[in-house]
Amino acid sequence: MNNKEIKISSLDIFGFLITGTVIFLAIFGDLIVPYDPTMVTNTVSKSPPPLSSWPSLFWDVLVNDIPSPHWFGTDSSGLDVFSRTIAAVRTDLIIAFSANIISASLGVFLGVVLGYFRNILSETLLRLFDLLQSFPVFITAMILVALAGRTWINIILAMSLLYTPIYLRLTRTEVLSLINRGFIYAARVSGKTELYIAIRHILPNALGPALVQFSITIGFAILLTAGLSFVGAGVRPPTPEWGSMIASGAGQLVLGDWWPSVFPGVATSLTVFAFAVCGNFIEKNYDR
Amino acid sequence: MIDKPEIVLSVECLSVLNTLNQKKIIGPLNFNAYRGEIIGVTGGSGSGKSALAYALLGFSFRNCKINSGSVFLNDIDLIDLEEKELEKVRGKEISLIVQNPRSALNPMYTIGYQISRVWNKHVGKINTNEYFRPEDMLKLVGINDPKRRINSFAHELSGGMAQRVLIALALSTKPSIIIADEPTSGLDVTVQAQFLDMIWKTSKDKGVTIILCTQDRGILANYCDTVIEMEKGLITKNEDVKIYFKNLKNSRIDEKIAKKVINSDKIIYKIKNLRKTFPIKESKKTLQAVENFSLSIRKNEIIGLVGESGSGKSTVGKCILKLINPDKGDLIFDEIDLGKISPNELRKLRKRIQIVQQDPHDSFDPRWRIEQSLMESFNNPSSNSKRKLNTIKKITKDFGIDGEVLYKYPKNVSPGVLQRLAIARAILASPDFVVLDEPTSLVAPNDRERILSLLKKIREDYGVSYLFISHDLRSVISICDKVAVMYLGQVVEYGSTKDIFNKPLHPYTCALVDSELGLDPNQRRIDNSKIFNLSGEIPSPVDLPSGCYLASRCPKSVKSCYAKSQKLENYFGNREVRCDQIKRIYSR
Repeated sequence: MNNKEIKISSLDIFGFLITGTVIFLAIFGDLIVPYDPTMVTNTVSKSPPPLSSWPSLFWDVLVNDIPSPHWFGTDSSGLDVFSRTIAAVRTDLIIAFSANIISASLGVFLGVVLGYFRNILSETLLRLFDLLQSFPVFITAMILVALAGRTWINIILAMSLLYTPIYLRLTRTEVLSLINRGFIYAARVSGKTELYIAIRHILPNALGPALVQFSITIGFAILLTAGLSFVGAGVRPPTPEWGSMIASGAGQLVLGDWWPSVFPGVATSLTVFAFAVCGNFIEKNYDR
Repeated sequence: MIDKPEIVLSVECLSVLNTLNQKKIIGPLNFNAYRGEIIGVTGGSGSGKSALAYALLGFSFRNCKINSGSVFLNDIDLIDLEEKELEKVRGKEISLIVQNPRSALNPMYTIGYQISRVWNKHVGKINTNEYFRPEDMLKLVGINDPKRRINSFAHELSGGMAQRVLIALALSTKPSIIIADEPTSGLDVTVQAQFLDMIWKTSKDKGVTIILCTQDRGILANYCDTVIEMEKGLITKNEDVKIYFKNLKNSRIDEKIAKKVINSDKIIYKIKNLRKTFPIKESKKTLQAVENFSLSIRKNEIIGLVGESGSGKSTVGKCILKLINPDKGDLIFDEIDLGKISPNELRKLRKRIQIVQQDPHDSFDPRWRIEQSLMESFNNPSSNSKRKLNTIKKITKDFGIDGEVLYKYPKNVSPGVLQRLAIARAILASPDFVVLDEPTSLVAPNDRERILSLLKKIREDYGVSYLFISHDLRSVISICDKVAVMYLGQVVEYGSTKDIFNKPLHPYTCALVDSELGLDPNQRRIDNSKIFNLSGEIPSPVDLPSGCYLASRCPKSVKSCYAKSQKLENYFGNREVRCDQIKRIYSR
């Protein structure tokens, strides 16, 4: 009946393309990279080849089978920037996605539970999460990771904890508006258990805002991952990661070696931007 | 009725276009409006009533545009006028009363200021000699204590009062035409009657033409002179009200099902001294929803529960189903005390008491297909899903519903059909007792009749009892065996439908019965001299008066009514009335 027309702007297409590429690289990145991202090469601080020579170099690599050049140059310790930038996609995306999946699941679950059972215990829990949310995300994440140790798991857990209240709040509000709806009463008078009602009726109807939030938070999570590594509270250095690459290249900037930090920087901003565009698109077209 | 018909407004070939898909929303329309005439514009939702009302003022909805035609008001074509010229006419010659009165008033200013602003803009500038007082306008529209009211803000007024302020606003410039778009749809029946009586009086006294958009046939029959019926943006009928109803009667198929009197003494549900209050946040006060409510429902019986909004009808319904827990009182279903059994036992009993709710779109899960929702309430868990589906299909077919509807989502189904599906869902659970909470209030008049005849049929086929909660007396008369009238959480009168409506005793019942608008234009409410009218509005259920709750509105009240609360007393063996004045008359 009311088929809302989905409008796709050129910006949306741009966002989809980059998101697609990023996800592709996260899966197949290690098949493409010409050098091991954690192995030091002999050439140190080599500048990338001029853009004009890229087509002929590309042809030589494909046809004449000569060793691949350092497309994005090498950094001060001789690591290939191109390989590291590509390999870092997986690091950042895994952290961002796992943190979001964990926090979304936990947040939605708690949101339904706390919306459904309102007593002193649930109110206290809610206030605790409010307290958590009142600290700046970045600082808290930094402290948590520093205390727990800089491992992947700890970073993911710290971020999950910090994003949970967002999902919790969204879902709980939705549950509260659903709980007095007619179809909940209808299910109740047909003798269904409260658990059945919560899972079959409340949950699917309360999920919407959380899904939209998920696509938006992904971008922030990538930025947070990179940010934590930049200040040295993220994954440990040999692991390719955009934030730590920017940080390690920052010292070379004054010498005029721009490539070790600019390439990962551009990659970060493009990815975050693309996810934001996708999130925006889902938010606009989500059928409530 | 009018001696010299003088044309005030004449509409020629008016049409409104949707600029997105180039489809005509209304038109071309042609009609004339005479001085002092009340024209009722009727038609289903989406038939273009509101679009017409706005187009007469030169407005159009978003993405729409007045395409062609003219609206002549005293020989000036409003459509051709420049916006600036039009502004002088709007509010001066032609006024609008909208559906939701409180949102039409500016919350920033007092109502006195808003009334005088309109007057100053249109009259004050031209005729400076005339002295204008907003309180006179408020007095004219029957607002008590106008001196105090001119300084109040929109949120301090009740819906009925805000609607009257809008009338005062519209009348202040002495317009020749007032356009009212569903002006009473948010009001209670007794307030609606007060309001329409006033509009009618204004029209006849001052010679104001009123264009009244409404779906309520009772309003058409009782107040309008001419009826314009619209369908899909076109005028299908433009007739005198008497001719309109004469034709309507002929075309309507009256399904008359002989009421079988079923003698059954088995009490299926017994409510004793039910009481429910709701705490109000941020204050220690409580809202009293239901007080001391007792009722017995026998097998195969239909009991009507009538009263205005806020009288506690729905709360009773929800308590019966234990969807909310009462503060006090016994609920006994089939000799089982629902207050004393465990939640698990209650859940097993649930299916035997069903509910049909007011808003059908709210009572179906928006993410489930209809068929899934119906399946949920199915009684027999052991039979397989294919056999269940066949039963569902059979029942929906019996109910006159197309089988395809089962695979749709609720938002794609019309409210009339969806409400019948909600009834089907209740019946699928094979209940003994169904609470019908205003099942017909949100559906179109045609669907209303279908639902009522369906409910009668179900009672005969399946032998269920109903508690029929409604404020629509016409439905109650046609379906119920007994009626309980509620006012502010109390039952004020109880008896058989025939007795209650033919010979109401309690003053509130009298007013309620009188405010009901019949469908016969030859027996209008306004022609009836014996009208029993209540004054003022319902007191707030938070600050209830100490004596009889009706005392401040009741024309029969005496001093003792204000002080002493009154008891429900039995008369003639089958009647219960809560009024000391009645007691004085009949106790001799």
